[in-house]
Amino acid sequence: MSLRRQHVLVVEDSDEDFETVLDAAQRAGISHLIQRATSGDECLRLLRGADRRRDAQPALVLMDLNTPGDDGREALRQIRNDATLPSLPLVVLSASANPRDLQFCYAHCVNAYHVKPVEHARHLEVPQQIFAYWLGCVVLPD
Amino acid sequence: MNPPGTTEPTPPWGAGPYSTLRHGTALATCDSEPVHTPGCIQAHGALLVLRLGDLCILQASENCDLHLGETATQLLGHSVGRVVGAAGEAQLHQMLEREPPLPGAAYAFTLPARTGASPLDVCVHVSAGVAVLELEATSRAGQSGDPDFFALVKSAVGRLQASASVRDFCQTVTREVYGLTGLDRVMVYRFHADLHGEVIAESRHARLAPWLGLHYPADDIPLPAREIFKRIWIRPLPDAAGPLVELLPLANPDNGRALDMTHCALRGASVMYTKYLANMGVAASLTMPILRDGELWGLIACHHETPTRFPYQLRAACELVAQVASLQLKSVEHAEQLAYRLKLEGVHQELVARSAREGDLLALTEHQPSLLDAIDAGGVALYHLERWWCVGRVPEVPQLEALSAWLYEQPVLESATRPVFATEALASVCPAAAGLEAIASGMLAVALSRQRRGLILWFRPETLQTIPWAGNPRDDPPVPGPQGRRLSPRASFALFVESVRGRSRPWSDTETDAALRLRLLVLDLVITRAERLADLNADLTRSNEELDAFAYVASHDLKEPLRGIHRYAHQLLENAEALDGDNRRRVESLMRLTVRMDSLLDSLLHFSRVGRMELELEDTDLNAVLEEALEMIGARRLESRCSIGIPRRLPQVQCDPVRVREIYSNLLANAMKYKRNADAHIEVGYIGAQDSEGRAAAPDEAAGHTVYYVKDDGIGIDRRHHEQVFRMFKRMHGRDDYGGGVGAGLTIVQKLVQRHGGRVWLDSTLGAGATFYFTLPGWAVSA
Repeated sequence: MSLRRQHVLVVEDSDEDFETVLDAAQRAGISHLIQRATSGDECLRLLRGADRRRDAQPALVLMDLNTPGDDGREALRQIRNDATLPSLPLVVLSASANPRDLQFCYAHCVNAYHVKPVEHARHLEVPQQIFAYWLGCVVLPD
Repeated sequence: MNPPGTTEPTPPWGAGPYSTLRHGTALATCDSEPVHTPGCIQAHGALLVLRLGDLCILQASENCDLHLGETATQLLGHSVGRVVGAAGEAQLHQMLEREPPLPGAAYAFTLPARTGASPLDVCVHVSAGVAVLELEATSRAGQSGDPDFFALVKSAVGRLQASASVRDFCQTVTREVYGLTGLDRVMVYRFHADLHGEVIAESRHARLAPWLGLHYPADDIPLPAREIFKRIWIRPLPDAAGPLVELLPLANPDNGRALDMTHCALRGASVMYTKYLANMGVAASLTMPILRDGELWGLIACHHETPTRFPYQLRAACELVAQVASLQLKSVEHAEQLAYRLKLEGVHQELVARSAREGDLLALTEHQPSLLDAIDAGGVALYHLERWWCVGRVPEVPQLEALSAWLYEQPVLESATRPVFATEALASVCPAAAGLEAIASGMLAVALSRQRRGLILWFRPETLQTIPWAGNPRDDPPVPGPQGRRLSPRASFALFVESVRGRSRPWSDTETDAALRLRLLVLDLVITRAERLADLNADLTRSNEELDAFAYVASHDLKEPLRGIHRYAHQLLENAEALDGDNRRRVESLMRLTVRMDSLLDSLLHFSRVGRMELELEDTDLNAVLEEALEMIGARRLESRCSIGIPRRLPQVQCDPVRVREIYSNLLANAMKYKRNADAHIEVGYIGAQDSEGRAAAPDEAAGHTVYYVKDDGIGIDRRHHEQVFRMFKRMHGRDDYGGGVGAGLTIVQKLVQRHGGRVWLDSTLGAGATFYFTLPGWAVSA
């Protein structure tokens, strides 16, 4: 477990959904800072910020696909083509169950793809488990 | 003029020269008669044969004493000056030495009358190295004055040029010649391809019976006579029954040859011909050819009931009319064809334009005008897009199929330049047309594609061609003569009507050309339509993709607020312990409704995906597919404690196993859901393609296909709801009865079956179970 990656980047344009993610983080009991981007552009800006040290990178990017502007897909493509962003855990949490979206995301090497349930209790469970797994179990290179 | 292939080393009249007078009745056939060297002239004039150069009289007609006052014997060996005087001789010299030589007989001068005789018109022409002088009594004696032939001919020519059709034109010809000559009957006699003739125009004295429309056998005008008519413009016979006189001597003393009298107005007529005329009650005839491209197209035949005279000037006028008619004929034919062609072209253009507008070849046959208003036919059949479109009288479809199968074997339809087939006697070439003569004796066909997918056929009925022959063409003429079979003129000219069976009016070049041009127009139209269809397909694909994108975007956008609503309702319930019972129930309903909306959106998405995804057809064992479907819904099977019977093993079938599994799982789930007894029984089976049992409610499209079914003993469906059960989100029961559900299962089943090219239907009455049937023809159908 890396001790240096101290934050999680959540790309989510919906305030309600972001709040659900925050609730889930709280329930998962993680100590990571949660940084929010509301678009793919903003996500890239944050990742490519001035401080490029590896430990400045997030421990996890949790991304919604359908965000305003350059949407999540474009951000995804750029992240995976960026040699300065290696081994960045990227998990999609999208409302879309479109097989094309799934195909696209896995073709661009997302680490996992989840569909947002409408039922709140189940919706809460998904990011909770994601946080528990990626921030609690997964080991990343230094 | 022997027909090719026959040899007559010694003619019947022996080795010497021929004379109609001596040998005219000893002939075997008309076609062997040397009509251009008859050795005789008509006795109403005199003829002298002169040696070119010294104009010495070599031969003279035996009636010279009557016309010239000296016998032939007295004249022979003398210069022509003895007859025409020095001035006449000088003028003849001048005419004969003129370059270019005289084209035919030319008027030279008129000899003044001797005592007790008329003045003589003298005509001269050159024939095979001798000058021929013909002397005939002029008409001028006894007449107050000549008609102005120049003015008459000039106005006649003007009227000929105004004719619009060949028939009009010929009618004008007979009217003009009738007016010019004053003869009893003037006809235009047209030769058909088989050389028989038809009277196509006539002007006659009121007391005579009409001969218009009569046909005459080819024999009536023997070949040698036809040949002569290609070289001369007029043939006068002023007194058919009049005597003939021989030339003295019969052969030219310089070279022993008989005189070629082709261009002689006085040429003695064949006995055959004069008898023929006598049989018809004709005493005098005047005949002019109508030539077309050097071929004998027809004759202007004039008859008179009493002997008459054809003075030189009248003959010249008639010759001119014949020449003008010959020159004009072609342009009249062209004008007539052009008018017809323009009409055909106009109608065809209009038809195709309308088809293009309406996007359907149906316009060619359905509306006014139709194809029937262009090329003159009894009926038209168009084969396009696997079916026949017909207008007018055409054969039945099975017969059309047989005809087109035969047609496609004809190499001419494959021709790159003229893919057109035309016949006026279809049954004589095509066995499939036997018995169709009344409708399809004639057929004109063009192919619309090389792939045997398009044809236009025009049909013409049998013109039970009633041909009114002038006398029976077969029975009468050949009677044996002293020299074997020889022709003699027919005794009877009573009307003889012959029916020609199995033939229609022939198709003209104008019509076949128009058919070919129509073919190009239609091909163009079909290609344009194919392009438009391709565009539409592209548009459809695009809009399908857009719909696809829309469905997912909508799902995302609709679900986002839904999640928000659910979330707040959830928080309300969790945090507001103080909510009273009513409000708590309301919030709970709110949450249940959002969940329901969510599953509706999911079903909608699934349905739209089912319609668009590619089927993956493979040879599938339905038993395995059914097993998987049962497993998928297995949990419910346990719950509901039902039994599932499979009377016989299901067959192998070409289908997409994943989709068919979905069909079965939906139908099975329904069967279990809507049970009547606690212990439901479900039967899964099929009806073989050849079995007729159990197909009572089956739609026509299911005929010949294996029918699969899922049968339950549940609550059944009222007959009036049978159509509705397949409608999207249509539920027959309360929202939460029978385990709930969004009402998309059967809609998806129907879509999946349709994608396999099949049909789904049900048989059920309320309270007596339901059976759902479906077919899987095994080809993928695009959405």
